[in-house]
Amino acid sequence: MGLRDREGGDPLSLAEVQALGQAEGRQGGLLGFGSPTFLTTKVDFVVNWARRNSLWPMPFGTACCAIEMMASAASNFDLARFGMERMSFSPRQADVLICAGRVPYKLAPVLRRIWDQMMQPKWSISMGACASSGGVFDTYSMVQGIDTIIPVDVYVPGCPPRPEGLIYGLMMIQEKIRHESLSDHYTLRAEDPSLVGRPHADAEEVEALAGPFGNSTQQDHLTSLAQTTRPERSEDLLP
Amino acid sequence: MTERVVELPEPGLRSEPMLINIGPQHPATHGVLRLLCELDGETVLKVTPDIGFLHTAFEKLGEYRTWNQIVPLTDRMDYLAPLMYNCVYVMAVEKLMGLEVTERCKVVRVLLMEMDRIFSHLLWLGTTAIDVGAFTPFLYAFQERERIYQLHEAYTGARITTSATRIGGMMADFPEGWTDSLRNFVETFPKTLDEIESLLTTNGIHLGRTLDIGVISGEDALNHGFTGPNLRASGVDYDIRKDNPYYDYETYDFDVPIGENGDCYDRYLVRMEEMRQSLRILEQALERLPDGPINVSDPRVSLPSKTDCMNDMESMIHHFKLITEGIRVPAGDCYFAVEGSKGELGMYVVSDGGEKPVRWRIRPPSFVNLSVIAKLAEGHLVSDLIMINASLDIVLGEIDR
Amino acid sequence: MDENGSAFDAVERGPEGSQRPTGAPRSGNGDPAASHPSVTALRARFGATVLHHEVQAGDQHVVFVDAASNRAVLEWLKDDPEHRYDLLVDVTAVDYGGGSPIQIVYQLWSVGHKRALRVKCELPLDGLSIDSVVPLWKTADWLEREVFDLFGVDFRDHPDLRRILMPQNYAEGHPLRKDFPLRGRFSRAEQTRRALSQDYHDDYTPEALEVGGAPGLEPPEPTGSIDGPEEAP
Repeated sequence: MGLRDREGGDPLSLAEVQALGQAEGRQGGLLGFGSPTFLTTKVDFVVNWARRNSLWPMPFGTACCAIEMMASAASNFDLARFGMERMSFSPRQADVLICAGRVPYKLAPVLRRIWDQMMQPKWSISMGACASSGGVFDTYSMVQGIDTIIPVDVYVPGCPPRPEGLIYGLMMIQEKIRHESLSDHYTLRAEDPSLVGRPHADAEEVEALAGPFGNSTQQDHLTSLAQTTRPERSEDLLP
Repeated sequence: MTERVVELPEPGLRSEPMLINIGPQHPATHGVLRLLCELDGETVLKVTPDIGFLHTAFEKLGEYRTWNQIVPLTDRMDYLAPLMYNCVYVMAVEKLMGLEVTERCKVVRVLLMEMDRIFSHLLWLGTTAIDVGAFTPFLYAFQERERIYQLHEAYTGARITTSATRIGGMMADFPEGWTDSLRNFVETFPKTLDEIESLLTTNGIHLGRTLDIGVISGEDALNHGFTGPNLRASGVDYDIRKDNPYYDYETYDFDVPIGENGDCYDRYLVRMEEMRQSLRILEQALERLPDGPINVSDPRVSLPSKTDCMNDMESMIHHFKLITEGIRVPAGDCYFAVEGSKGELGMYVVSDGGEKPVRWRIRPPSFVNLSVIAKLAEGHLVSDLIMINASLDIVLGEIDR
Repeated sequence: MDENGSAFDAVERGPEGSQRPTGAPRSGNGDPAASHPSVTALRARFGATVLHHEVQAGDQHVVFVDAASNRAVLEWLKDDPEHRYDLLVDVTAVDYGGGSPIQIVYQLWSVGHKRALRVKCELPLDGLSIDSVVPLWKTADWLEREVFDLFGVDFRDHPDLRRILMPQNYAEGHPLRKDFPLRGRFSRAEQTRRALSQDYHDDYTPEALEVGGAPGLEPPEPTGSIDGPEEAP
């Protein structure tokens, strides 16, 4: 029962509303009935709702993908629609690390330090083929996937991904946050302080992740593909 | 409230020098550049740039790729003007092979290179405007860039990583209606350019941030290896399109803007004018775009047609060999340079007659331009250092390679 | 397909215009007919120092000079009013592999005369040292540092010969040499470990450290394990 739509549609006067409320036996009348001053919900829901709609990205842009990231922030694609108009160039005030572009070994400690400086809770996106796996650059200077350096939540494929791709990746982060719970958040996102400044993956994992794949190093025609083993990581099993 | 007396420092007081790191992760360094600054208060005593944070080993990787496979690497190097890099690489290889591309291909490449000069200058314009505190030009510039992105995409299928050229021609001819879209861009872009210019050219803040900042004389600029708009802003008339023309640039009617003072403001003016001149070249090239084949019919480089491959054994073997082994380039070396958006963009290719280059070297314009920043920034304020860095128009992908 | 016989033959025949056996470090056809005014003048001025002259890619003149007198030759080319190669476009190196000498390549351009010239010096692998040309062109500063970094060529009298692209503590060698594998010498795990355990001293020049003092950049010592809820005291 609304305040306006009683039969004829004329607005009720305050006196009429109070009278109506008292007729139905309510203290304080009808005010407060049609528009509740409180609602019941779960803390998880509210916290996650707030978190996922005001993510502040930390744009760690290095190469081509950074240009697409700028295009995402510019007027045509407008990241601000997702509560992300505030690009936080300081890692201390950021929630999502967007690693866009190639990461050579010389840059790896910088990336790790930025990740370490970010406050919990934090998420990370690996944007583009080079950040996710080294891409075509299977060379002496390139990190073969930033997941050997820092943990990664969402990989956005593409070379470079279109802005829609990045936005989809960010929406996946939002979806992931929606399913998180404060009770298991700590176990999910806890960081071992002894890992600060150290690789995210251990030596065997790095070798497995960064093994020569395809014909990237054997470009002589029609050579067989190099063997790679599938890496097993415990985090993959977590929700 | 008691009255407080503030003691002002004596003029000329020297404080202890201080060391400040700018970068590698900093929004104003336009990439992953690290500037190690020695400061006295806010005055820059010395800048030591530290680069290599994006060293991707393109040149080494090129030695493991066949000649045509290098094309996709070139546009990942300068992602601000990818088609220009695609073109100059194949032009260098074609020169080494003594291969003359078709008339249509020449004009098509001129179109693409001039379009990407605007593409690159627009990004420079947007990010530089942000560095002086103006956000609107960034949005305007990206609106126009988005239109060039769409042109890229309509032609090559990719927004940035175009990989459009092949040795001996292009990957394909323009799709239907593409030139009309480009013509539409050429006609309507000057309006936006005027709007951006009205926001910046006589803007007091912009003038204050750029006038007499980072001055370099023409002689010094040449000695330091400046090329492109940076050199011309210092008053040296050197444009490869005029001085060592390629692809009939001598027959196009356009002017080369020359600055006078060699400061940030002149570098800004030169680039703004270059965009207008590029539009003139685009107009003329669209006018003269001839019909005819876009790829040469040289069996050394061009693939036989799909129909031939399906019906003719010899064509099929030809196709197979070109694809699996790659083309072969005669032994020798060749340096070929074009007027890139950032300066003299050269490719030096060395072949031993095989299917892969012995050496593939990029003459990096931004790399050389950036090396001057230490000289330019000396004695300026930190905020001017940011402006000087922006006015050099660097792209880290090509500096570090 | 065309008058050359079949296209298949053309591919099989390989490149046209190749004048030298594959793999030899010297190439080109030293065409005496196409002379370059600067090369003629160089020959007259320096005599036996000018070793070899060839024409590449149709019209590009390459002159080989003795590595011991590179600076004298380049200085003359830069300052002589008849030539005035005032723009040093590029300094780079080429390693042909197989133990052949490394070539240092100077690409010159004269803005006034609109002429290009490529000067090459050959350095044997056991004597990778050559005079720096930074006193002539400031451009050479970073370009020579890059050649030092990637090829290991020592430039005498260079004001600041440090690695430029690779980290200062890079221990795997000089990447653009032909004997260097594409993926580096160490395993990926070792490369990752080394990258993340860089010493801050490598990031600063000694003078800078003197000015700024030693920054406290060491990662904090690990303090115990994760104090998760179930492990909390």
